Amino acid sequence: MKKELFALTIVLLIFVAFPASLFAYQAWRTNTSFGFAQDDVRVIALTANVPNNGGWSPDTIRVNLGERVRLRISSPDVVHGFEIPALGIQVAEILPGHVAEVEFAVSRVGKFPFACTRWCSVDHWRMRGSIKVIDPNNPNPLPQSFAPPLYQQLKIDIDALHPATNVPTQRPSATRGTLLSPVIADDLRVNSPSDVFAKLRTNDALKTNSDSQLWDAIAFAWKQSAGDDAIARGQKLFARDCAACHGESGKGDGPAGRNLPGLAAMQSDNHQMLEIKRGPADFTDAPKMLGASDVLLQGKIIRGGMGTGMPEWRTLYTDQNMWDVISYLRSFVFEYK
Amino acid sequence: MTDPRLELTRIPLIKKILASRWLQWSLVAVTLPFFVLAIFTGLFGTPAGSRNFGIVFVWIVWWGLLMLVLVPFAGRFWCAVCPIPAPGEWLQRRSLVATRENGKLFTLGWKWPRRLNNIWLQSAAFLIVALFAKVILTTPFVSAVTLLILAGIAMATSLLFERRTFCRYICPVGGFIGLYSQVAPVEVRVKDHALCATHHDKTCYSGNEKGYGCPWLVFPATLDTNTYCGLCTECLKTCSLDNVALYARPFGKDLLTTQGRRLDEAYRSLMMLACAPLYTIIFLGPWAEIKEAAYAIGSTGWWLYAFGLLALTLAVVPGIFCVCSALSKFIARAKTSTRKFFVGYATALLPLGLAAWASFSLSFVLVNLSYAWQVLSDPFGWGWNLFGTANWKWTPYLSGWQGYLQIPILLIGLVAAIAVAFRIAREQRVSPRTALPIVLFCVAFTVVIVGLNF
Repeated sequence: MKKELFALTIVLLIFVAFPASLFAYQAWRTNTSFGFAQDDVRVIALTANVPNNGGWSPDTIRVNLGERVRLRISSPDVVHGFEIPALGIQVAEILPGHVAEVEFAVSRVGKFPFACTRWCSVDHWRMRGSIKVIDPNNPNPLPQSFAPPLYQQLKIDIDALHPATNVPTQRPSATRGTLLSPVIADDLRVNSPSDVFAKLRTNDALKTNSDSQLWDAIAFAWKQSAGDDAIARGQKLFARDCAACHGESGKGDGPAGRNLPGLAAMQSDNHQMLEIKRGPADFTDAPKMLGASDVLLQGKIIRGGMGTGMPEWRTLYTDQNMWDVISYLRSFVFEYK
Repeated sequence: MTDPRLELTRIPLIKKILASRWLQWSLVAVTLPFFVLAIFTGLFGTPAGSRNFGIVFVWIVWWGLLMLVLVPFAGRFWCAVCPIPAPGEWLQRRSLVATRENGKLFTLGWKWPRRLNNIWLQSAAFLIVALFAKVILTTPFVSAVTLLILAGIAMATSLLFERRTFCRYICPVGGFIGLYSQVAPVEVRVKDHALCATHHDKTCYSGNEKGYGCPWLVFPATLDTNTYCGLCTECLKTCSLDNVALYARPFGKDLLTTQGRRLDEAYRSLMMLACAPLYTIIFLGPWAEIKEAAYAIGSTGWWLYAFGLLALTLAVVPGIFCVCSALSKFIARAKTSTRKFFVGYATALLPLGLAAWASFSLSFVLVNLSYAWQVLSDPFGWGWNLFGTANWKWTPYLSGWQGYLQIPILLIGLVAAIAVAFRIAREQRVSPRTALPIVLFCVAFTVVIVGLNF
């Protein structure tokens, strides 16, 4: 009988105590054991699913101002990344079945979007969430007011077509443009390259220069205005966030963009329907890119494509991020090297 | 002729261990925590199969051990230590170690239907698992639920039917373990059949105070192959004449006779043979579309895959073998039925099938074994690092050597299959050349397997 009891005890330990000890260990590790915190860190489990399976879970996280938070991020499916751009918090890689941890405290009230930074699926860009930071002493602050984006301030219709009135016969080169380097007083963010060309062409001092020379000078001006660092930063952002749809070479031929609707037709100023190329924008399309100002391009990035599959980036990108990307986009029509 | 076997129970220590009632319980007490952990990690752990103990330890470590070590070298040893039927058996006996005084089991004691007194049901269960194998073997939750269903069926069967009916007639794995265990170099057999004939009590089947009657519903005196012996060693304990022993023996001794071979066993060996290349394709091969089809249950691709699997295992491969058997019969100008040739020659497929599965398993295990170190430290994928191995990188082992290891295994299987085929021809008193169609079948199969792997 004693032997039976011993054997039964072992079996019960295997069936009950063994699994219970595993869960207890996990509870202790994640700081949720029996309601007692081990230290002053609140542990929050965040699961990264591909968007078709629910995306971030939870997709809204509430934390108190100054509260120390440890996110334990796991992925059940594919490799994801994590970033809260406004707080400069980033986890480069969340491998399936692994747990990545990041610890931080937020010192300002607000809603801070976070997003996946790896091309996890065709709906990757939908994989967003937000961290809402609340001041317990002032839980309902008045909403902050923001200045409208530049394209709205300048009343630019970003849905209208803005084709270039002049198009170069060869790809403008910033290197060749250094030879001429005329003084361009125009604001290169507000004016499109085509606008700038038109003004230069009417300049008597530049009468003897060919159209190609003027375009080279414009390429140089845009490169110099942006700066090499911005272009390099923009290249990284483009590779991470844009290339999947717009293609590595900017031709709008990225693998994830193949089935996107794009714009099928658009109403022109004279109320005629114009046929537009479907799918993601082609940044090597010179008439389109040279007719578009940086502000217009920023507007498209801020707002997104409204049903075309192009996401909005206002919530994730800073202004600097957007100018960086636009600086790089110009390299698809201007020869920068 | 001298007996080529070595009676291991003559060694006192081995005899003492085998006679102990603690033996089987102790072994199950080792495997049971792994089983429990596999269930819990499957249900609550990460859905990423490669980081889940339930997937890695059941379908990589256990499977590798089973096909590369246990079955070829220890026959049905796994059946003796398998945790799935253990709770049902304990409940049935209302005891974990000791014997019941009156020997009565806690079960309705129903007899298994005579029509199902074969391994057709096991074969069907195996095919059902095979149809969903890609999902079961890669999705922790599904894997855990499958194991729970099997444990539930085993428990219910123990309460309704006599002894280990589940293991004998239902377990989807038991059927092929039994067939391939005939190759293994160990056996439990009676020492002197004449002595059994004079033994009135037949305690090996009915049980006594030292142990239970054969849980596998086998009368040891009639045991001439390993197919249905679960190596539980109850008969060693209960034989009051000390007439049962554990032997070491030459590999494949059971294959030397076709006496008592049955169509269900022959068919099963063909099904297993057909499944080996299929598993190679869906788990190892570069054919992404087939792999995706096998995973996407309910899709058109999956239906095509299911149709292909069933057609290949139930019709195409057995059909080709049937034609080979008919050719053998034609060459022999024998009056016996094609069925007899089919059933007899199917014995030759056992070493070949085992070699094919061992070859597949070797490749599968070498590629995936490094996941085992990760899940040992982090069984749930919850970010643990118990032994400091959680972040070890996935590394396929001996990747440049797999071919050199697989080819000898396949060649050994092929040579053994050919030898058994000629032996069967002699046993059936027909010219050895009548085995040629079977030899060609075996060679062609080996070529297919080699082609898929290289």
